[in-house]
Amino acid sequence: MDIYLPIAEVSVNWPLLVLLGATVGFVSGLFGIGGGFLMAPILIFLGIPPSVAVASQASHVVASSTSGVIAYTNQKAVDWRMGGVMAAGGVIGAFAGVELFRYLRLLGQADLAVALAYLLFLGAIGTLMLYESLGEILRRVRGDVVPHKERRRPLWLYGLPLKMRFPRSGLYISAIPPFGLGVFAGVLSAIMGVGGGFILVPAMLYVLRMRAGVVVGTSLFQIIITTAVTTILQAGRNQTVDIVLSTILLLGGVVGAQYGARWSGRFRAEELRAVLGLIVLLVGIQMGLELFVRPSDLFAFAPGVQ
Amino acid sequence: MMQALPPPPPAVEALAPERSVATTEEVRVAAALTDARVMVDSSFRGASIVLFGAVFNPTDDPADVVVVVRGPDAPVRLVKKTRNTGVWLNSRPVLFEGAPGFYMTASTRPLSDIADFGQLRRLGVGLDHLRINAPQESRTVTRYGVRDVVVSRLEDDYLDWRRAVIRLREGAALYNSDPEGVEFVDRGLFRAEVELPAVAPTGEYFAEVWLFQQGEPVSVSNLTLTVEKVGIERDIFEFAHRRPWTYGLLCVLLAMFTGWAASRVFRRH
Repeated sequence: MDIYLPIAEVSVNWPLLVLLGATVGFVSGLFGIGGGFLMAPILIFLGIPPSVAVASQASHVVASSTSGVIAYTNQKAVDWRMGGVMAAGGVIGAFAGVELFRYLRLLGQADLAVALAYLLFLGAIGTLMLYESLGEILRRVRGDVVPHKERRRPLWLYGLPLKMRFPRSGLYISAIPPFGLGVFAGVLSAIMGVGGGFILVPAMLYVLRMRAGVVVGTSLFQIIITTAVTTILQAGRNQTVDIVLSTILLLGGVVGAQYGARWSGRFRAEELRAVLGLIVLLVGIQMGLELFVRPSDLFAFAPGVQ
Repeated sequence: MMQALPPPPPAVEALAPERSVATTEEVRVAAALTDARVMVDSSFRGASIVLFGAVFNPTDDPADVVVVVRGPDAPVRLVKKTRNTGVWLNSRPVLFEGAPGFYMTASTRPLSDIADFGQLRRLGVGLDHLRINAPQESRTVTRYGVRDVVVSRLEDDYLDWRRAVIRLREGAALYNSDPEGVEFVDRGLFRAEVELPAVAPTGEYFAEVWLFQQGEPVSVSNLTLTVEKVGIERDIFEFAHRRPWTYGLLCVLLAMFTGWAASRVFRRH
């Protein structure tokens, strides 16, 4: 049941990959996220080189986000204008990120960069999510009054130039913060192979204070554009996209995502967030662990010379 | 196998006797391959070819057969993990200017029983003696905008790097040494199998069949074989490397189509 992955140059058990795609798809449908952050560590664990794992799953994120955006478009829950500004930033971020990744890979430091990025970003986001959602659950159990949340945007958002109207998001703000957010997500998508939803969604909600109904749809739209550009760039510059691997993953992934989305209605939002936060944190720690554990072989081949 | 001394500079290649200078008195080996062109199906299996040959030994001394197969030379880059303030980091890449992409030996007995260290080193026979190019002086070269350190064979850690190349390649089944790989099927008639993994490089391979008597090489037969890769996986690999941008675009379109198709299928249900 093994299949040879031509770019990764390893053989893997393909039913296992379909199952993996379906599981990650289910999780992503359940939580409304791309699931890229979960996929790369498992692929690396299966023995696929980190640079190939990161580049190949970007196209898996494209597929799952596409079916997501279609669903949200039908509900008119995508702010195309906001998404467009963020996607423009995402494209620039992707260019910069892929070049950076290429340089790191040739330097033999790609694995390190991937591990460090996972540890840093997933660790931070996971901790925040867990802290915030556990607090909410505790308050509900104790029956405390929910404290009134600060509803104001940070003041600096008003001081910046290039103001634009975003009617669907209910915003009249400078285009620079969403653009910058896009650039950041673009760099992450190149280095971590993730869509960046786990950073975009909280930032759009709590910093930009967009209308909550359009946040997920808009971030998915920006994620499609960014990860599509990242995939093409990774293929063009690094030749690390494995079409066989990504196809197998997305076959399972799109099916899993649909079932995950159906299940998500059964749980409370803060419980889902607590579980997601825990998963994010654990993945971050697991990926970061390799930096501190003595490797089984100190030497490794570096790519670059054929 | 550990060795205390750094390997001496590669000596002049041992002169190979003409392929067929046959007299009935002379001790001689002749060999052939089942296929001079090998198609490695780049699925996970790789390919296996059989080398067979005959030993003419009119003397009473027993003779040993050693088969050496070398793949095309190519530079190798390595990194080493080092511990820096509690964190394992990769070193700057270190470059060997050339190492065989494939190397195997098969013999009738362990190589160390067949000939002595110096003889094996001179002929480049055995994993401990295979030639890996390293200059006298260490220097840096810039490739793809990255500065690599070229390994010098006079430096202290040269042997560690060299062993790492061999160990990693052995792990990938690219380097192999089988002390019982040459099997006599009949008096004077032997066979050896050459296992090429799917990751074996393409190109010209050279096979040497040595005949040793009392620790001395008495005859050699030289063969060449060409390794090519075939199969759908190879086509994908070629496509991804020859037209990377088209390939990337195709990947994205495929992903978008799958996402769109899934949402269509599931909406209907």
